[in-house]
Amino acid sequence: MSLRNQAAIVGIGATEFSKNSGVSTLTLAQRAIMAALEDAGLEPARVDGLATFRVGDSVLPMILAQSLGIKDLHYWLDQFAGGSGSHSIVGQAALAIHAGVADYIVCYRSLNARSEFRMGGTGRPLVDAVETQYQAPFGYFTPPQQFAMAAKAHMERYGTTPEQLGAIAVQQRAHAAHNERAMMREPITLDDYLASRWIVEPFRLLDCCLETDGAVAVVVTSPERARDLKQRPVLIRGASWGSGQTLFSNEQPDPTRTSAADMAPRLFEMAGVTPRDIDVAQLYDCFTYSVLVQLEDYGFCAKGEAGAFIESGATALGGTIPVNTHGGFLSEGYVHGLNHVYEAVSQLRGNAGERQVQGAEIALSTSQPGYVSGSTSALLLQRDA
Amino acid sequence: MSDDRPLPYPDRDSEPYWNALSKGEFKLQRCDDCDAFRWPPRAICNRCHSFRASWSSLSGRGRILSWTCTHQAFAPAYRDAVPYIVVQVQLAEQDDILMIGGWRADREPMANEAVRVHLAKRNDDFTLPDWEPESELYSRS
Repeated sequence: MSLRNQAAIVGIGATEFSKNSGVSTLTLAQRAIMAALEDAGLEPARVDGLATFRVGDSVLPMILAQSLGIKDLHYWLDQFAGGSGSHSIVGQAALAIHAGVADYIVCYRSLNARSEFRMGGTGRPLVDAVETQYQAPFGYFTPPQQFAMAAKAHMERYGTTPEQLGAIAVQQRAHAAHNERAMMREPITLDDYLASRWIVEPFRLLDCCLETDGAVAVVVTSPERARDLKQRPVLIRGASWGSGQTLFSNEQPDPTRTSAADMAPRLFEMAGVTPRDIDVAQLYDCFTYSVLVQLEDYGFCAKGEAGAFIESGATALGGTIPVNTHGGFLSEGYVHGLNHVYEAVSQLRGNAGERQVQGAEIALSTSQPGYVSGSTSALLLQRDA
Repeated sequence: MSDDRPLPYPDRDSEPYWNALSKGEFKLQRCDDCDAFRWPPRAICNRCHSFRASWSSLSGRGRILSWTCTHQAFAPAYRDAVPYIVVQVQLAEQDDILMIGGWRADREPMANEAVRVHLAKRNDDFTLPDWEPESELYSRS
């Protein structure tokens, strides 16, 4: 039995995104969850499932449940994962809904990734991962360094240029101008991009996402229950997660290819769609390069051709496949992946305002594609008929 | 250069690897049954699932797959070190063994450039495998 259209997203909520929330991750989560429940038209007492992911930097779901007065959680997920897990928690909530384990599951991510645990790695303790001992002694221990390494390999092999990476940053900033939640809305030019300081070559400052304090929550239930609630439901048409390419000698020596390339065919098969059917895509953009490589690995263009594809305007609003219509993590803020789901749902409801992709029916939303951790996850979402 | 830079922290799988390096030996486990090298060190072979392996010397040769130049000091210990180059090397022995290491030359690496290992002693306990161009000798300063 397929998971296709067996669960729906019925509520979305977000806090303000900032450099310093001034409050705890518990408070941020409470705000985002209450906003999502309000959006859905649900009382907190109806919630019987909570799902999150974190890297030792946020509130536990059980603590959060107690704080909301929930006395008997039927389902919880507290996944240790970075951004690669951001979409798997929603997929796993869909599984639990489909299995009848719980009726209303809230998926959330809450973090003070600038004012407390800096997601970019600056000043942060080393991550307890198997590869760290083989990398950190060389001064190589942060996500920008790891993605820069992959980006450089792509540039050397396929001739991808700095201007092509810059085009992603410029397009997304233009999208953010239409988004009141975005932290960075001032338009930038390619010259601004090229003049921004180096972080880790080939990445400049404007290749990197915004270390952000904030939280996002989405409510998942069955399609039947969804149709009795306030909003037009958004069906989870496909949900996949996977893992492959890692540090380990596992016969996958190509740094320009991510785990998304292995997973995408399964996702499309479950959903019964192809990349051509997708109206809008929110692609995990911890760095510009992760957008570029996913355009290839999800099959929007051929391997090695994403740079030219982006420069053609295909990924801008008005293009054939608008990408990161909210500005993405580069310009809206970095809520570790879940703000992509929020934007995908907004687009499918048709209430994304000036940045609305007209007639959007199917959206792809993706997690970190899997170079650093080897794991990834994604959702194909569909407007309910 | 500051000595606050991170050191390796051997675990029960990696201890022989780091111990060999501290004695000037660059070795990896090699499967006793299918001859595949394992990286990073671990008990099982992911090709044939044998638990048997022997520590085997490497040629110390490889090629440059990619590199980065870090300008932002992500930790205080690197404030005086930036900018610095880190390379990703594919070992000559096996295509799917990719190692991160320091770069030992006064110029940028080149894609696919042949390199050899340069064992750099950090202290009495730890020696790190850096890389230098095959075509020229690194001049120690």
